[in-house]
Amino acid sequence: MIKEFLISLLHYFMDITTAVLIAAAIYMTFFGQPMESSILWEILFSGFITALPTAVLICFDTKSEKHSLILWSIHFLLIYVITLFLLNMFGWCSITPVSALITFFAIIFIYLFTCLAHYINDEKHVLLMNQQLKKRYSIDKNKSE
Amino acid sequence: MKIIIESSQPGEEDTVIVRCAQPDQRLISMLRLFQAAKTEFTGYLDGRIIPLNYQDVFYFEANENRVFAYFYSEVYEVKYKLYELEELLMSFDFLRCSKSMIVNMEKIEYLSPLFGGKLEAHLKNGEKVIISRQYVQCLKSKLGIGEVK
Repeated sequence: MIKEFLISLLHYFMDITTAVLIAAAIYMTFFGQPMESSILWEILFSGFITALPTAVLICFDTKSEKHSLILWSIHFLLIYVITLFLLNMFGWCSITPVSALITFFAIIFIYLFTCLAHYINDEKHVLLMNQQLKKRYSIDKNKSE
Repeated sequence: MKIIIESSQPGEEDTVIVRCAQPDQRLISMLRLFQAAKTEFTGYLDGRIIPLNYQDVFYFEANENRVFAYFYSEVYEVKYKLYELEELLMSFDFLRCSKSMIVNMEKIEYLSPLFGGKLEAHLKNGEKVIISRQYVQCLKSKLGIGEVK
């Protein structure tokens, strides 16, 4: 259980940090702000802090899609609040309605990026598992036909 | 070691033939375990007691301190706790797929990925069962799949 949690934490940390780096690179390219070396540590820290509730969330055993949706909505809001807090703490930008809106869309981008990465990976695993299932139970299928 | 499964004639009793140089203790223990393995259990429906077979179960689900066995279309209550069933079904192709469910792998038609590392098992009776993230590794092991690169 702890091993699973740590592996998930590491995976999400890597995915979120990569997505934050892409978002930061795009932002800096368009707004042309100078970059300090401390920002790299801040990105790593923010990646870890946002990966933590994600790794905790996936430990919950949801019974229905509705329950799952509620949990992911809470998670999204939590990540949004944490990000706004970090933006303010690191002085990356001041909290205004515009910056809050940009942050909202940036989080949606990071969400889509990490979910897509995990979904593609899971699809690869599922394909293999379906092949194994088919192979393992094809005797039964032939018998019943 | 080769495993050969042949179809028997209609009405013929199922027979296990072991062809080996010399049967060792491991093989004898395994065969005794196989012979002693219970494949039947008791289900309860509207006060009636019904003998049931594990192989026909699609999944077991715990709901409000009661455990139910789901068949193709029927549902029976069983007097076991889910953890007891998990132990009893260890030698069968059953998988703990969430805190409240045990699914018969033989009844899975196919799997599909879900949001957040979970899987959805589409069963042969059209029902869908969610496999929690923490049990996916167990399913992979049972299917003989290691870490996918």
